[in-house]
Amino acid sequence: MKFNRRIFTIATGAALALSASMSFAGEALDRVMAAGTLKVATDANWAPQSFLNDDNKMDGFDVDVAKEVAKRLGVEVEFVTPSWDIITAGNWNGRWDLSVGSMTPTKSRAEVLSFPGVYYYTPASVAVHKDSPFKVIADLNGQKIGASTATTFELYMQHDLTIDAEGVPSFEYQLTAGELKSYKDSTAAMDDLRLGDGVRINGMVGSLPAILAGIESNYPLRVLGDPVFYEPLALAIDRGDAEFNDKLAGFLADMKADGTLSALSVKWYGIDYSSTEGGATN
Amino acid sequence: MLFADTVVADPAVHKPKVMAIMLLVGVIVFSFFGLNDTIFGEFMRPVIGEPTESGLFGNVAIGLVLSMLFTANIVLIGFLPFRYQVLLVWVELLLLFLSFFYSFGLNFEFIRSKIWFMISQGVFTTLYISAVSITLASMVAIVGAVAKLSTNGFAFAIASFYTSFFRGLPLLMQVYLIYLGLPQLGYVIDAVPAGILALTLCYGAYMTEIFRAGIQSINKGQWEASRSMGFGFALTMRRIILPQAMPLIIPPTGNQFIAMLKDSSLVSVIGVWELMFLARTLGNKDFRHMEMLITAAIIYWCLSMCLEVIQSRIERHYRTISH
Repeated sequence: MKFNRRIFTIATGAALALSASMSFAGEALDRVMAAGTLKVATDANWAPQSFLNDDNKMDGFDVDVAKEVAKRLGVEVEFVTPSWDIITAGNWNGRWDLSVGSMTPTKSRAEVLSFPGVYYYTPASVAVHKDSPFKVIADLNGQKIGASTATTFELYMQHDLTIDAEGVPSFEYQLTAGELKSYKDSTAAMDDLRLGDGVRINGMVGSLPAILAGIESNYPLRVLGDPVFYEPLALAIDRGDAEFNDKLAGFLADMKADGTLSALSVKWYGIDYSSTEGGATN
Repeated sequence: MLFADTVVADPAVHKPKVMAIMLLVGVIVFSFFGLNDTIFGEFMRPVIGEPTESGLFGNVAIGLVLSMLFTANIVLIGFLPFRYQVLLVWVELLLLFLSFFYSFGLNFEFIRSKIWFMISQGVFTTLYISAVSITLASMVAIVGAVAKLSTNGFAFAIASFYTSFFRGLPLLMQVYLIYLGLPQLGYVIDAVPAGILALTLCYGAYMTEIFRAGIQSINKGQWEASRSMGFGFALTMRRIILPQAMPLIIPPTGNQFIAMLKDSSLVSVIGVWELMFLARTLGNKDFRHMEMLITAAIIYWCLSMCLEVIQSRIERHYRTISH
């Protein structure tokens, strides 16, 4: 039939057009400098690290760090907000250049991403409902614990966490969950925990700043004991551009030395998290 | 109405026995909730005394009053003509719903400060992604339908493989596969085009079947008559078959559009700032998720209702011109 032949011509043409428009990711630094914009992937759902502010613009600690990096590169900054698992999967193909998303540089992530450097540390803490009977972390053993999925908190609860960054205090697994519940993000875990002790979960592991922010917003929670581990949080880039990596590492060293990172941390958290001393007082 | 019956039975609400049973069930159900520590207890204070100390007596008394109000409401509505019944029941359900939301203690100031951005950014993105996708899906569908009806084995195989594959996978998975999979083949696709492509392919597969059914419903005689006048395939399709098939195709296509409007929320996972994404994100900093989720829910609902009205207009239009 004549008509069918025409369909095939169109289909073949479309396939050719598609393959002709293939683009290949070049060197990240060249791409950034040529475009004049640094595309930064970050989460829009993680106050106070990154969130939409009252003017509906991206704001937060991570966002300020990204802006500072772009300023030092001498380019504009642009934010994209893919979901976290897409960022950590690597293979960005030049969709964005840099992740400033408080990412922990674990070994498995280092297989797909490069980490130019750690820019701050957050204490990971255990939170329980305000009215719950738990006194120390060990009381929670065998209970239902929540953690956000694909995070170090979940890996910690699975007793499968390896942190291979420098300057991080060693830790041990103080807590074994009876049942581990995974959440999309820590806010979702806090939303379940606020319903009451044991309604859905008895406790959660999350970043101390996020838990404190929740408590400030009247979530009926309290932090249990000292931080269980310190999470180093790093910038991340796609693999394969050593020059970009070194440049970012240089900026980070400068920002640490001239106090920029400490100032930003105090601005957003009220505590200097740019070294591991920060959370110990809590 | 399914069938306009000429036998008029007495409506159930006019049968005392049915109403008595309803009253009794109402008393039991409302008493069971134990409402004496709520606002209803306050209303009943003159009868039952201190609400929290009234115990079983208080609960049953409140249950009896609520059940009587409920039953009286139903009996009264039962006397009204159909049209007013519908209107009144709608209004009552809506009020019930709103009071349910109201009881959450929402912060309306916060909603007011965010709603314009939700509409200008979220609704706009949702609508344009859906509109572009439904247009492209229609084009895919017509090609797919013709291929599915063809006697060419290759065309049929490809089209049926396509419909089977894309109807058989969850849409969310298709979004991920396209966004993450295409770059593996060397083509880096942005979030919005990836979302549109996923919606197009998925809905194109469903609509292929709608178009196929529409085309198939046209009598064979129409093809034969066109053939006898020397019309080719394309001309027959364009001037004879499709104009007759359209009245059958367009109403379900409208339905697909309404469904797509809601399914487009799935592309929020790849970072497109549409309505669902904003609903999850805007309230995050201030821990006001319920406000944003309920606002987005109502916006989605309003959009769907508007589209449903348009949809019924279109259906009526085609019903009148086809007779």
